[in-house]
Amino acid sequence: MARRYDSRTTIFSPEGRLYQIEYAMEAISHAGTVLGVLAKDGVVLAAEKKVTGKLLDLSSAKDGGYGGSGEKIYLLNSNVIGGVAGLTADANSLVNYARTAAQRHLLQYNEDIPVELLAQRLCDMKQGYTQFGGLRPFGVSLLYAGYDPHYQFQLYHSDPSGNYSGWKATCIGANNGTAQSLLKQEYKDDILVKDAIGLVLRTMSKTMDSTTLNSEKLEFAVLTLDPETKRPNAKIYRPAEIDALLLSEGLTKQDDDTEMKAT
Amino acid sequence: MSRSYDRALTVFSPDGHLFQVEYALEAVRKGTCAVGVRGKDVVVLGVEKKSILQLQDPRTVRKVVMLDDHVCLAFAGLTADGRVLIDKARIECQSHRLTVEDPVTVEYITRHIAGIQQRYTQSGGVRPFGISTLIVGFDPHDSTPRLYQTEPSGIYSAWKANAIGRSSKTVREFLEKNHRDDLSREESIKLTIKSLLEVVQTGAKNIEISVMESYGKVTNLELSEIEAIVSEIEREKEAEAERKRSRLAATAAGQAAMTQRAEES
Amino acid sequence: METSFAITGKGYVLMAADTTAARSIVKMKTDEDKIKTLSPHLLMAYSGEPGDTVQFAEYVERNIRLYQIRNVYALRPAAAASWIRRSLAESLRSRKPYSVNLLLGGYDTSSYNPQLFWIDYLGTMTEVPFAAHGYGAYFALSLLDRYHDPSASLEEGLDTLRRCIDEVSKRLVVTPGKYKVKIVDKDGVREIEL
Repeated sequence: MARRYDSRTTIFSPEGRLYQIEYAMEAISHAGTVLGVLAKDGVVLAAEKKVTGKLLDLSSAKDGGYGGSGEKIYLLNSNVIGGVAGLTADANSLVNYARTAAQRHLLQYNEDIPVELLAQRLCDMKQGYTQFGGLRPFGVSLLYAGYDPHYQFQLYHSDPSGNYSGWKATCIGANNGTAQSLLKQEYKDDILVKDAIGLVLRTMSKTMDSTTLNSEKLEFAVLTLDPETKRPNAKIYRPAEIDALLLSEGLTKQDDDTEMKAT
Repeated sequence: MSRSYDRALTVFSPDGHLFQVEYALEAVRKGTCAVGVRGKDVVVLGVEKKSILQLQDPRTVRKVVMLDDHVCLAFAGLTADGRVLIDKARIECQSHRLTVEDPVTVEYITRHIAGIQQRYTQSGGVRPFGISTLIVGFDPHDSTPRLYQTEPSGIYSAWKANAIGRSSKTVREFLEKNHRDDLSREESIKLTIKSLLEVVQTGAKNIEISVMESYGKVTNLELSEIEAIVSEIEREKEAEAERKRSRLAATAAGQAAMTQRAEES
Repeated sequence: METSFAITGKGYVLMAADTTAARSIVKMKTDEDKIKTLSPHLLMAYSGEPGDTVQFAEYVERNIRLYQIRNVYALRPAAAASWIRRSLAESLRSRKPYSVNLLLGGYDTSSYNPQLFWIDYLGTMTEVPFAAHGYGAYFALSLLDRYHDPSASLEEGLDTLRRCIDEVSKRLVVTPGKYKVKIVDKDGVREIEL
């Protein structure tokens, strides 16, 4: 029996649809939300973490590596930050591939990989997984926030089919419809990073299922240009920095209980 | 077990069908519509553009692409498949120039693309490409406009005018009625837009037009230019409808007069 | 004998290469173009082993063009130079290496700077204000040390170039004769009559 299924994971249905891709997208629409906003002087990315258990030890991530807690937002190259929604294991291998592709470009051309090209590299791979036998599609959508001298700041979205497109503001994962319409209402073309941060956090707080908004539930990153060197500066916030940011934006949601007591 | 991986996904059914290829054609029929029209010394590609969402970057939504200086391609079907196939074609264009020092002819690159598509219907463990393409261009040192089509099965063919994608049958029938061999540049563009309007209800903002006039001379029409032509077509249609109405009114009046006279007598 | 020069000025790079195709002591033709236009803002002058030069230049030309067709925008000069240097370096370590010397002049449309790269057949690359390959280099470099001005106007740049060419024809045993001169600036590439 196995023979009948394993080599034909992604094939056309009689209506010309690729169900495996559609199912993969379905999986993503339940994943933690990732939201990106393109501003005039930078790009802002935020992601919702789904905490799996109370006993999960997050201490190693607290002051780990380059800032992220390594679940939703990753540094793909010095000029590109990626946010992932979907199967974490698939995401890990895609992030790895993206980083390798970026380094390969650096080795060949001695320049940071253009953002769209990096998105294309990943999409070519994702497309391959929808066409060749014995493979299932990647269950991951990504947002890429980046900078290159050709098109300055950019925000891209790619899905399991291997499609990608550029956006001014977009959202993937759970509740992305709500977030999308909120963004549509509030986005202005000449928005600056400092306002975009507020927009992102406000939209996140409205779409997230949980009542508390804090560093345990949120990952956050901003890409700007260094005013002196004019080189892209990717900053992925550490948990403490996220809490401080939420406090300064006045968005530290309280537990329902304490709220009730207060009123 | 390992042998199951190199088995072709596309196999004959007992009654002689290649179902995967037929299903891939279904995917094409779901794609946005693309039209190609060959005029006297010009060839026009028109595509239906999906509405760009408010926050989307229009630059990244491309439907008509260059393969080389003198060849353009439009496709209908799965966008990701399209991108991958286009990339292969672009490499072949440059590789051809490197090996024989001449640019590809339009037929050559069409045959190459169709060949790739055919391979994916026969070789191990892959599904066919879910796209049809229209390829237009001029051969080097030649002033004849060319238009070709390829399909998921790997069939390719030359056309005077053709359509692929959503409602392509309606559009093709329209083209069959209205195409002439000696269309001028303006007439070709107008026919392309007119035929696209058969399926695109939302008008100019969802239409993209590329015109190739001679070897390597490609222009993409601005939205304002397309709008002007669309409104011209609408005016003509209205005038036509008006004429029809007045003719109907005239016959109705005539009939009424006749019945009246009959009653009177 | 093969000679090529390149100098940067205010917003442009000037390149000159002799037009002689020779075999042993015999001139085969005197109107060979040894400067290829790789992209709208990139020029490459090549010299070296005759068969290798053309073969390698065409290989580079097609790859740079492929990049542009794939991505709509062309490679920036520095990125193109790195790629070309890498190709040469990889070829050097292969069974049959190309013996080609290159000057690469371009105008970076995103930083608005003219750039010039000197690359030799061993895969050495440096960014320089002026450069030369071939026997002419022995005479031209010292002249350029004295007369090169990075903020020179096109007229002044052409004067400096003429000085180099005159010096080479005065001192070199076998002088190349004719030169082809090309310029790249913000408006792209064009040929200039000296």
